Amino acid sequence: MRKKQKWFRKTIFFLAVGLVTFLVLFPYLWIVQLSFKTNTEIMTTPFSLPEVLSLDNYKRALETLKLATMYGNTIYIALFALFISVSFSFMSSYCISRLYFKNKKISNTIYLYFVAGLTIPSYIMIFPIYRITMSLKMMNSRWSLILPLAATTLALDTLLFVGFLRNFPKEIEEAAIIDGCGIVRLCTRVVLPIIKPILATVIVFNIIYFWNEYPISSVLINKEDMFTISLSVSMFKGRYSMDYGGLIAATVLITIPEIIFYCFFQKYLVDGMTTGAIKG
Amino acid sequence: MYWLSKKRTKIIMLFPAVTLFTLYVVIPIFIMIYYSFYNYSGIGIPEFIGFQNYQFLLRDKTFFCSLKNTIIILVMILVLILPCSFGLALMLNQKFKGGGIIKAMNFSPFVIAPILVGLVWYFILDPKIGLLNNLLGILGMEGLQKQWIGGKTLTPYSVAFVYLWQVLGYYATIFLAGIKGISSDFYEAAEIDGAGFWKKTVYITIPLLKETFVIAVVLIITGGFKIFETVQQLTGGGPNHLSDVLVTYMYHTTFTISRYGYGMAIASVSAIFSFVCAAVYLLISRKSVKGEM
Repeated sequence: MRKKQKWFRKTIFFLAVGLVTFLVLFPYLWIVQLSFKTNTEIMTTPFSLPEVLSLDNYKRALETLKLATMYGNTIYIALFALFISVSFSFMSSYCISRLYFKNKKISNTIYLYFVAGLTIPSYIMIFPIYRITMSLKMMNSRWSLILPLAATTLALDTLLFVGFLRNFPKEIEEAAIIDGCGIVRLCTRVVLPIIKPILATVIVFNIIYFWNEYPISSVLINKEDMFTISLSVSMFKGRYSMDYGGLIAATVLITIPEIIFYCFFQKYLVDGMTTGAIKG
Repeated sequence: MYWLSKKRTKIIMLFPAVTLFTLYVVIPIFIMIYYSFYNYSGIGIPEFIGFQNYQFLLRDKTFFCSLKNTIIILVMILVLILPCSFGLALMLNQKFKGGGIIKAMNFSPFVIAPILVGLVWYFILDPKIGLLNNLLGILGMEGLQKQWIGGKTLTPYSVAFVYLWQVLGYYATIFLAGIKGISSDFYEAAEIDGAGFWKKTVYITIPLLKETFVIAVVLIITGGFKIFETVQQLTGGGPNHLSDVLVTYMYHTTFTISRYGYGMAIASVSAIFSFVCAAVYLLISRKSVKGEM
């Protein structure tokens, strides 16, 4: 009797988990299924499976998408923004949490200054950043995006780095200093390996943000050869106005690489969050 | 660390981050406040008009409509995300084969570009070609077919559901982290007393996760105010601004019709609004947590 009850419970449990996961994955499956259909099939019989697996939609999508430009721009922007945000925030966080300040209030104030940035909703910065970029005469360049994108991540990065360093004993670093290690070597050879777990989380979160950013990019860049992936996607609906098949195929083409990417780094993401990095 | 803490070293280490942060995050706040008192259309010199932008705001029906939509979305996502993601976290906390993959799959919408999310859901929610209405038609429930997007009323609700889809796995992971942090002693003691799964959840897990719930609510509120791309892709704020939220209306006023000053007034008000919502909630929950201790 008990055994049967347990088995019953297990089935219910797996059904529930399966159902939730299916619902979450369903939108992807749906558009992949649609992407093989002709436009009339999409309009009239969206439910029946495609009669022939036609790749026409993909052909049309590939003809119009400037994949090389958009990926090139996005990768360039993401890499440089990542380098800037991680190195800047690491240096300042290390200084705040480890170096000696005669007046402890100074380091605490700088820390609060950064962390207070978390309370500023990023959308209010769109127009001001546009003005700043105009007055710096940097419109329509990749660096016009790299700097503000990196800047908006500094608050969270600082929170994560300082939070991690404060909970980590500094004996190893002190031993290295006694052995005659300078600050540069200390940071690159001793501290970097120590902070690896939190570094991975910071990198992954930043990359997701840089890769997907849309509102700020949309006002700083309006030349097509500077478009990032998000900007090109925002033009899809206008470009394929009546061609749903092309629109869907283009959507799939951009979504799939993101998912494959995600499969590689999901471990760092989920682990980083579960070890408590994002909790506070 | 004393030996390395020369003034020069400290300045070199702090300077880049502080400069970049000040330039692109702190100064923008002042720029926003400055322009909200001016009338500026991008050409010529901004004209100082005092509080007129704010006065206009109080009489602007579209502003109140977008405020209403934002509030609908906020309430909906709070009601939807908290129980759903907590429930999912409880499920994922059970150990079973393939648990890691299931976790990853549920998290995946969070990494997709929001602008793509809007596009994907367009093919589900669109009244004519979308999956939802077609499915209802096949099941013979034509009466339930609605204008999920692009109609007069339902768009904010649809946007809330899309947002739930986007962040469900993210919040579930936050809750899961909280659950993992609870010492197993509590559960063992409760099991000895004969408590089942539900009793353990209600009397141990939920009370001990109070902090996590507080953080999640604040994150949901601030996140809800930022919803932008989904609305932009699903309806573009239409028809006639009926489905605009504060951010899309601000974006429209600022960049589409170039009323920069008025746009910044909307931005200031919605920033204050989002800040107050989060702060009030934090204050209330702090008090109640303290009151119990």
